[in-house]
Amino acid sequence: MKANAPYENGVARRWLGDNATFYLFAAPFAALTIVMGLWPIALSIQTSFTESYTALSPAPNYIGLVNYVEVFNDPAFVKSAWLTLRYTVLAVVLNLLIALFYAMFLSSALLGRGAWIFKLCCFLPVVTPDVAGYIVWKWMYSGDFGAVNAALTALGLPEFGGVSSVSTATIAILIAEMWYHVGFYVVIFLANFAMLDRSLDEAARLDRAGFWRKFWKVTLPQLRPAITINSIYALIQFLKTFTVVVVITKGGPGTATNFVSYYAYRQFDQAQYGTATAMATILFSVIMVLAFALYWFNQRRDWR
Amino acid sequence: MNLKVLLAGTSLAIAGSVASAQELVIWHDLGDNGIKWFDEVGAEFQKTHPGVTVKSVSFPTDQWYGKSIAALNTNTAPSLLYNNYERVIRVVDQTGKVMDLSDVYAGMSDTSFLSDADLNVARYNGNMIILPVQRVQMGFGARKSWLDAVGEEFPETWADVQRVSAKFISEDPDGNGKDDTFGLALEAANPRDLIHMLDLYTFGAGLRHSLIDGDGEIVIDEPRHKQVLVEFMKTFTDYGYVSPDTVTHSFPEMYQVIEGGRAGMFRVGDWNVKKWDGADVLNGDFVIGEWPQHFDDVENAVVIGGMRGVAVPENAQNKDMAVEFAKFLLSVEAQKASLNNVGAAVRGDFELEGLSDRRLVFAQPSHNLNAYDFPESVHSYYPELEADFHRELLEALVNPPSDWGSYIDDLAGKMRAKRDSLK
Repeated sequence: MKANAPYENGVARRWLGDNATFYLFAAPFAALTIVMGLWPIALSIQTSFTESYTALSPAPNYIGLVNYVEVFNDPAFVKSAWLTLRYTVLAVVLNLLIALFYAMFLSSALLGRGAWIFKLCCFLPVVTPDVAGYIVWKWMYSGDFGAVNAALTALGLPEFGGVSSVSTATIAILIAEMWYHVGFYVVIFLANFAMLDRSLDEAARLDRAGFWRKFWKVTLPQLRPAITINSIYALIQFLKTFTVVVVITKGGPGTATNFVSYYAYRQFDQAQYGTATAMATILFSVIMVLAFALYWFNQRRDWR
Repeated sequence: MNLKVLLAGTSLAIAGSVASAQELVIWHDLGDNGIKWFDEVGAEFQKTHPGVTVKSVSFPTDQWYGKSIAALNTNTAPSLLYNNYERVIRVVDQTGKVMDLSDVYAGMSDTSFLSDADLNVARYNGNMIILPVQRVQMGFGARKSWLDAVGEEFPETWADVQRVSAKFISEDPDGNGKDDTFGLALEAANPRDLIHMLDLYTFGAGLRHSLIDGDGEIVIDEPRHKQVLVEFMKTFTDYGYVSPDTVTHSFPEMYQVIEGGRAGMFRVGDWNVKKWDGADVLNGDFVIGEWPQHFDDVENAVVIGGMRGVAVPENAQNKDMAVEFAKFLLSVEAQKASLNNVGAAVRGDFELEGLSDRRLVFAQPSHNLNAYDFPESVHSYYPELEADFHRELLEALVNPPSDWGSYIDDLAGKMRAKRDSLK
C-alpha cells in the first residue's frame, strides 16, 4: 500500500505526484523558513535601496544605489571592512588550529577516563550565555582591577594593554572569542576523529611513517568533513563578529574594533536605515561568496 | 419594562465609559525615576480627566531614537514623546511628523516662568517642537570625604582640578590601602559620549561654542577654545587623570567608576542627585559646583545641557488628550512631582520641601549658568560634521600626537574642508 494512498485520486495527487504526503508535512516548515528566514533578508535588501528618511514610511523613496555609493565612499566603512577581514582571517585560522590540536589531545588514548573532564571544560563556555562571559572577560582585562594584569604583575611580567590599547584590543577580543567558540569546533573535530579509519593509521605505522607525515598524509585528509564544516561556520561567525564588540570594546579604542556588523548597527541606531542595511547587504554578500568559495575549495582539493 | 430600562441604561453607561476611556502612552528615556514621575502626574491628571490613563515606557536613549522615528514613519506613534530638545530635532528631521505646538503654547495662560532662553530651545525651523518641561543642568562634582582626606577644598579652577587629581591618584583618598583611585571619571567609548564630555569642559569654562559658531565658523583653533580642547584631550592621555579603560567607557561604565568609588571628580546631572544621595550609592558624600575655571576673565558655570520637553506626534494616538496632558506637565503639581522624582523642572514658584543641599543646587540655582548652543538647530549639516570631528578626536585619544597645538590646527583645517563639502 502506498503511503499517500488517501490522495491517490485527489487534487494533491495530481499536482504533487507521489510525494504529496511529504510535501504536505514539509509545507509548514517551508512557509516558516520563508517568513522567518528569507522575508527579513529580502526586506533588509529592499530597505538598502531607499532613502533613510523614508525607509520605514508606507511609501519609501527608492534611490537606487545611492546608499551603496555612500557606503563605499565612507573611509570609516572601508577601514571597518579591512579590520573585519583581517580579524576574520586571524580568528578562523587560530580557532581551527587550536581546536584541531585540542581534539587530537582529547582523542589520545593516554588521557584514558580523565578525558571527560577536559571535554567538559572545553565545551562549557559554548553553553554559557555569551554576554555574561564577555562581561567577565571585560573585567578580567580591566587596567584598574583586572585579573589578567594582576597575574602578569605577580609573575613579574609586563602588563597587557587589554582592550584599552589599540595594539592589543584585537588580540584581547580574539582570546575572549576563542574561549567561547573553540569548544564547538573541538566537538566537530572529535566526531570526525571517531570515524577515522584505524587501518590506515596502522598501515602508516607499519610503513614507519613519522608523526607529522602520518598526520599530513593519513589523518588530515580524513578530517576534511570537519575542516569544511568548521571553516565555513567559523568564517560566517567571525565575519559577523558583534556581541563581543558591543560588550567589551564598543568599537574602540578609537576605531580599532569597529567591525562591519557593529558599524552597521551604529548606523541603524542613528536611524540611517538605508546605509545600515546597505552595509548589512554587503556583508551578507561577502559571507555568501566566501562561504561558497571555501566549500568549493574544500570539496575539490585533493587532500592526499 | 423595568428590565428593558435597566438594560438600556447599562448599555448607555458602558458605551459612555468606553467613549471616554483613553490611554495616553509616553515614550521617554528617564528610566525608573521618569516612570514614577509619569505615574504620579498621570494620577493627578486623572482627577480632572476621569477615564484617561497614562502609561509611560522608558527606553535606553539609543533605542528611543530608532523606535520613535520608526513609529512616526509607520503611523504607529505613541501619544507623546518626551526627551531632550536636540533629540526631538532628530526625530523631526527624520519624520517631519512632530506637531507645531506654537498655538497650544499661545493659548496657555500661565507661562511666565519660561524665559526666552527656555523658549529658544523649544523651537526648530520656526516651529515649537516641544513644550519645555525640565531644564537639564550639569555641574562638577567631587567626593567630599576624598577632598577632606587629601586636605583640599572643592576645586574652582583647572589648576585646582589638576592638583586634586594628582592627590586623588597618589594619596589613597579612600583609605583602602590600594593604588586604585583616579582623579576624574569621564567617558569616551562613542563619539556621542566624547562630545558630551567636551561640551561640559567648553561651556563650563564659559565659552559659547565647542566646534562651530552661529555663522558657520570653525572655532577650535581660536586660542581659548584650543586651550580647553588641549586640556580636555590631555586629561585622557598625557595627564592620565582618568582610568586607562575610559576609552572603552560609555555612560554605564562611567557611572560604575563614580558609584564604585574609583574616581573623585565627575559630572553631576540634576537627575543623578537623588540617587547619589541614597545610602547605598554615594550617601550624599559629594559637593557640586560650577565647572572649573580656565580663564581669569571668563566666568565658569554650571552647564545647561538642554531642555527636556514633551512633543506630540502629528499621528499620535488620542492626539487632543495628548495635547491636554502636555500642557498639564507645566502645572505646579506636575512640576513638583518632576523635581521630586527626576530632579529637574522649569518652574520654581512653589515651596521646595525636604530637598538636600545638593538637590537645591539645581532646584534653586544661584551659580552662573551657560547653555549649549545647539548648532544642529542652525546648521543642517552639523550632525555629520560633528560625527567626523569626534571620530578624529577618538583616534587622537588612542594615538596621541606629540604636539597637540599643531594637531588642533590641522584638525581645524580638516573641519573647514568638511564643512565646505557639506554646505
